Amino acid sequence: MIELRELRKSYGGVEAVHGVSFVAETGSVLGLLGPNGAGKTTIMKVLTGYHFPSSGEALVDGIDVAEDPVAVKRRVGYLPESVPLYQDLTVSEYLDFAADARGLEGDTRAQALERAIGACGLSGVRRKKVEDLSKGYRQRLGLAQAILHDPPILILDEPTTGLDPNQIIEIRELIRSLGQSKTVILSTHILQEVEAICSSVIILNEGRIAAQGAPSEIGEALKGEERIRLRLKSASSGFDQNRLSGVPGIRSIASFQAESPNVFSAEIAMPPVKAGAMEAGEAIFDWAVASGLKVLELERRRLSLEEIFVKLTQEGEGR
Amino acid sequence: MKNVLTIARRELKSSFNSPVAYAVILSYLVFMGIYIYFIRGFYAAGQADLRDYFTIMPVVFAFLIPALTMRSWAEERRLGTYELLLTLPFAEGQLVLGKFLSSFVLAAIAILLTIPVPLMASLLGSFDSGVLAAQYLGVLFEAAAAVAIGEWISSLAKNQVSAFVGSVLVLLLLVLVDKITSFLGAGGIFASVLNWFSLAFHFDSFSRGVLDTRDLAYYLSAAALFLYLASWGLTRRKWS
Repeated sequence: MIELRELRKSYGGVEAVHGVSFVAETGSVLGLLGPNGAGKTTIMKVLTGYHFPSSGEALVDGIDVAEDPVAVKRRVGYLPESVPLYQDLTVSEYLDFAADARGLEGDTRAQALERAIGACGLSGVRRKKVEDLSKGYRQRLGLAQAILHDPPILILDEPTTGLDPNQIIEIRELIRSLGQSKTVILSTHILQEVEAICSSVIILNEGRIAAQGAPSEIGEALKGEERIRLRLKSASSGFDQNRLSGVPGIRSIASFQAESPNVFSAEIAMPPVKAGAMEAGEAIFDWAVASGLKVLELERRRLSLEEIFVKLTQEGEGR
Repeated sequence: MKNVLTIARRELKSSFNSPVAYAVILSYLVFMGIYIYFIRGFYAAGQADLRDYFTIMPVVFAFLIPALTMRSWAEERRLGTYELLLTLPFAEGQLVLGKFLSSFVLAAIAILLTIPVPLMASLLGSFDSGVLAAQYLGVLFEAAAAVAIGEWISSLAKNQVSAFVGSVLVLLLLVLVDKITSFLGAGGIFASVLNWFSLAFHFDSFSRGVLDTRDLAYYLSAAALFLYLASWGLTRRKWS
């Protein structure tokens, strides 16, 4: 379990984190989202005992990081953003060092090494020097180091950067399964990643919590409206934008484009769907059939993380 | 202690996986060989006395030791492994001691590899092996103090080059302080105090083959002081 109480951290007079509090329970994966400089990495560095808080407290399994950093570090597995590795060691030498550092011995040690090597798919590169590894392998070696001692707390700073799509799926699966028994905190830029693996999310902006909750809640709360992208075909030519206002409940037309005299594409905004009510797509489909139009494409567009940030920061200014 | 050995072992593995350590040790051996046989005219002097050979050691160390310690912290910082090291369950003191130990082992290997030089020379005359042992013990103590200073400067430096240059300058200053005071003709308490800080001043009796506990104590406390400073600096960094 991880608990932050009014954590503040400044470097040389500049405050990077302004009073952040949260609790991450065992058996959960917490995602920290935010633009660069939002304070994600700083929070992680405090939780791993690399930095001490300027004020406030950071507790890992009830232990204050500033009071007993070594005890905290024993419980934590950490993958830093820069994925630091010793270039002049081989993969197995590097993991041996990590095993020594964690005080692993005998059978436990052998099993831990095999488990980490297997889980991160490193068995083919054991004898390779770290400097000869590709970015994807380095990332996986960093992760193997972090999970080697089966720590109750895992802190992963952008764990899937540099991986190809197949590896991303594997690593996400691994993190999700680790999250069932551990406390996992990860940072990312990718909203889909949060939706795929996190049980809760904290969005940070300029060192403060801008929003927090379950991934679905955050998405809904921020959306405020549904965006639908459409491609329609009409039987006759001479269709224009005005006819779209016939869609029941439509709020606005974000874009409209005629591809040919009788095929056009548009993006429209619909009010958020209340539970139990008709979904936007259903209403549009019924409208199209009634108006003698054929639906070629109908897509509910997700708000990207960038749009969420824009929304959050704008709301912040409006207050 | 186990943690200290873990760190030292990792350092040594890295050192011996890269050519730098070999190159530095080899240059040192070649230089000492050339020095004794050519520059000092060992054979021409016709004396079975290695005092000059040992007197030069502190000056040579001002270059050898920084070459061995410059990577220590500066390289970790460049590679980002500094963050790894500080988030593994080690105390700062253990990190500093482990790195000190590995650099000291490298220095000791270099120093002990020079033993054949006086041994070969001893075939030509009769050497006092007790004197030789005292001389080598003194060299090792002097090296320990120099390694601690080099480690401390490396822990402050941003990169290897500034760690090397900084350590060379500091060590040369500490070695040459007693020469400077005698050159300036300074005397009295002022000169004695300055001389007392000199790494070479305390090496004097060793090079004559005399073991003086005051000198041993000086080297040990210098090593302890700079290791403490390095460890203190690492901890302080976390708060800023």
